[in-house]
Amino acid sequence: MDEIVAEYIRRTVLKIPRDEIMTVLQKWGLLSETQLQTINFRQTKDSISQDVVQLCEENSVDIKQAAVLDIIYNHIYPNKRVWSVYQMNKMGEETDFFDFTDFKKKFKRRLQSALKNVTINFREYEDNAIWIRIAWGTPYKKPNQYKTSYVVYHSQTPYVFISASVLKSNLPLLCQALVVASNYHDIREMELRSHCLNSLKDIVFKRYSQNFQTYYPRQERNVAAENVDLRIIQENRNEKERIQRVNREVFGDGPQPKLEFAQYKLETMFKSDPKMDVLETKEPFRCLVKFSSPHLLESLKSLAPAGMADAPLSPLLTCIPQKARNYFRIRERKGFLPGSFVSP
Amino acid sequence: GVLAHLEMLEAQAHELALKQEETEQQEEKLARLKARVQELRVQRDELRAKRELQQKQLLEKGGVVTDLAQHSAQSVLEWKIKSIKAMLQVFYLTGISGKLTKRGVCFCISTAYEGTYLDCYHLDVLTKPEVQIQRHSVPIFIPLEQIANKYLQTDIGRFLSVLSDHLNAYAGRRYQADQLEEHFSDLIEGTLQRNSLCNLLVFNYNVSRDSKTFPFSAKLLYGDLCCSLPTEVIVSCTPNAPASLAEIAAAHSDVFRRMALHKAFHSFSNAKETQD
Repeated sequence: MDEIVAEYIRRTVLKIPRDEIMTVLQKWGLLSETQLQTINFRQTKDSISQDVVQLCEENSVDIKQAAVLDIIYNHIYPNKRVWSVYQMNKMGEETDFFDFTDFKKKFKRRLQSALKNVTINFREYEDNAIWIRIAWGTPYKKPNQYKTSYVVYHSQTPYVFISASVLKSNLPLLCQALVVASNYHDIREMELRSHCLNSLKDIVFKRYSQNFQTYYPRQERNVAAENVDLRIIQENRNEKERIQRVNREVFGDGPQPKLEFAQYKLETMFKSDPKMDVLETKEPFRCLVKFSSPHLLESLKSLAPAGMADAPLSPLLTCIPQKARNYFRIRERKGFLPGSFVSP
Repeated sequence: GVLAHLEMLEAQAHELALKQEETEQQEEKLARLKARVQELRVQRDELRAKRELQQKQLLEKGGVVTDLAQHSAQSVLEWKIKSIKAMLQVFYLTGISGKLTKRGVCFCISTAYEGTYLDCYHLDVLTKPEVQIQRHSVPIFIPLEQIANKYLQTDIGRFLSVLSDHLNAYAGRRYQADQLEEHFSDLIEGTLQRNSLCNLLVFNYNVSRDSKTFPFSAKLLYGDLCCSLPTEVIVSCTPNAPASLAEIAAAHSDVFRRMALHKAFHSFSNAKETQD
């Protein structure tokens, strides 16, 4: 077995938390149960990884099989990477059958015709998600397994989730291969980025809870059990209820998609007291406002009930899931500017 | 000097005296308000007790007439509420229902397949300045934009009908595939390959004849997105299989075209039982 492969497997295993190594190796399926039983999982991770490499030697694992281990790791821990969302556009209206084999063939052919030195792996999951792992080389060097890009694509949808690595220069190539393989026309990057892949999917596939007014089915709203002490009289109960109602209308009842930040690039004129005479020029005052949070939308949802902001919140904040973006550019006159459409 | 210092001390003392007076005033005020609250509470309790007593008296005295009147009014109201709820449920069960909102209508399309109710999807439609969809929960792979471009402006009824057909057909196809995976996993080799719209299904299954199992492979294409039955079926067995198997493949192909997927497999296992 290649030294490179051995080292790659060793490093991949080291990334996995100790308790999960067995499960991941089982999912990988390259090592037999008897082989897995021989590993002592109470040693240090260093030793465990050495044992795994040893067993892989016995099975003569090659680089493509090692790459599968990497896909499995990234599928279980997708939140270690930053994902961007891309949207594809189709001209015609034909119904697409989407044949996975066909897709794979076209993608590989397109990518490899432009750059021979790539390692491409595909893996399909039950939720119709296709994971593609690409390790990039150059025209003169073999693929570097540590410089990988990941693509997650759900068939018959116009959205692609890409976690590029350092090599941004290969992105146009990747985008072109995707467009060709999925029978679309062009592709553009959306202004939507996050670590949490599932939340990005929730936003663009509209799987998050939106509050629609209906008569039926009657969803039993779980009324928060307030401590029924009759001596406590809520002075501003009406206001509290109004805030709850407005909040529910805007955010819905269920959990919010998980985003870490929202960024607003202001290109507006600075409006100051003319007496202050701060800026003589008539140029827009450039300013970047960035909201960061472990869970931005949940924290926005709790602002009004906590009394820290007025309800309803500014639409600039509440439109994030619906507009499917967390990067905004605010210009002077009308409001926000959608990202421009660029085909590769 | 000393005088200045004395002045300062005097001023301080004055301030402190003012503050003390203020606090005292506030405390007095608070005590008065508390007493007032107590008074009002007592009054409220008295009035409540009085009202309850009166009601009791009325019920005892008032006689059958007022009783009945009250009862009938209430029961009429209850009946009305019940019939409205039933009406709303009927609307929901028809598959397309709606509720007027501030700026338009919110439609609810519920899907079902052969008696089983599946998911429902919502659309918030604005009516001013023109008819447009503000937001929705329709899955992204349903060609909503296409359907809206065709019908939304001109014939909203048709729009809803076509969209409902798409959604119901999708729900039906997905249901069949799910049922197949759930109930006939022993007959399926490997995994059932499908796509988001469930309009292409590829799977391998086993057919047993004369105590031998033969592998078959099936490819179902659903060309009509408003239909939950396939438009094209390709069933094949191994190339050098006996002629009888080829016949079975053709028969199965026909069954898949006519019948729901899980029902087709049901019929296979029934046929097998009758054979054995």
